Amino acid sequence: MIPILSTPGHAADRADPLVMRHLGKGDTLDAEEAFKGFLSMAGHWALMGYGVWQIEEKETGRRIGVTGFSEKKRPPEHPASGAPEMGWSLSSSAHGKGYASEAVAAALVWARGHFGPGARVVAVISTGNDASVKVAQKNGFRQFATASRYGLGRFVFEREL
Amino acid sequence: MTYPILETERLILRVQTPQDFPAFAQMWADPIVTRFIGGAPLSEEDAWAKFLRIAGHWALLGFGFWGIFEKPSGRRIGEAGILDVKRDIVPSFHGVPEIGWGLLPEVHGKGYATEAVAAIIAWAEGHFGRVRMVCIIDPDNAPSLRVAARSGFKEFARTTYKGDTIAILERFPT
Repeated sequence: MIPILSTPGHAADRADPLVMRHLGKGDTLDAEEAFKGFLSMAGHWALMGYGVWQIEEKETGRRIGVTGFSEKKRPPEHPASGAPEMGWSLSSSAHGKGYASEAVAAALVWARGHFGPGARVVAVISTGNDASVKVAQKNGFRQFATASRYGLGRFVFEREL
Repeated sequence: MTYPILETERLILRVQTPQDFPAFAQMWADPIVTRFIGGAPLSEEDAWAKFLRIAGHWALLGFGFWGIFEKPSGRRIGEAGILDVKRDIVPSFHGVPEIGWGLLPEVHGKGYATEAVAAIIAWAEGHFGRVRMVCIIDPDNAPSLRVAARSGFKEFARTTYKGDTIAILERFPT
């Protein structure tokens, strides 16, 4: 028998239009693409020693999203290239509670220890994603550039740890 | 975690580390490599996501893809291994070990793929037991169909996957 890995919380988020409308191409992902993304997150920790965490709500133990840092190997001309890139996404049922800001703040504390005080990190957020822009601003990110992907506009943010 | 290293007469198969990424990205940027696998060359960013996925597959499932290195030079000439990525395909083979391989165009025709696949099937039978295995191949990819036939795979279904016709082959323990 081969081991079967089930990631229902992650797959449900990636199939939820409310979660996905501001990520990537703005499209939901099928179970295969969601699983491949999950494997890539695990591989990032294995190869790079940092990565993206799953977020659990303490009271319920429920998995409600992800946040963390990735090397994406964006093209050198992209304004976000060359620094660890922070990202976050919350299950739609966990939106509006301040959970993203709380998780991002904790991840930034960890990152200061890992990457070193003063290290630069970036974040790329779709232009229509007001909720995430607020999370970034609350956590000390400043917008310094714009970019475009799949015909969609992005704000590019940075901060020093 | 210690990952298995497979050695054949002419090849070393080992799990890849970040130092292998430049050669990996170069291979997947080659339209001859992607003609029958995926359909389009990968940007460095997309190749990196694939490279991370391979590492995560090993980390979470305990099996996966090896880089293939030619003896004695140590040059990376391709990759092969076992995966289960919940393909959105009918008929589904989630839960069945899927074998895959891809080699640089300049080493095609030497029997390297068949040599690597034989070592992988032997490892898989030791790891999973003597189980059915599958592979998927573009029906126009005659060289890979020959590798599959030599390795004991027979076509049992033809379907559409990600917009392209694909043959699904299976192999039963001999």
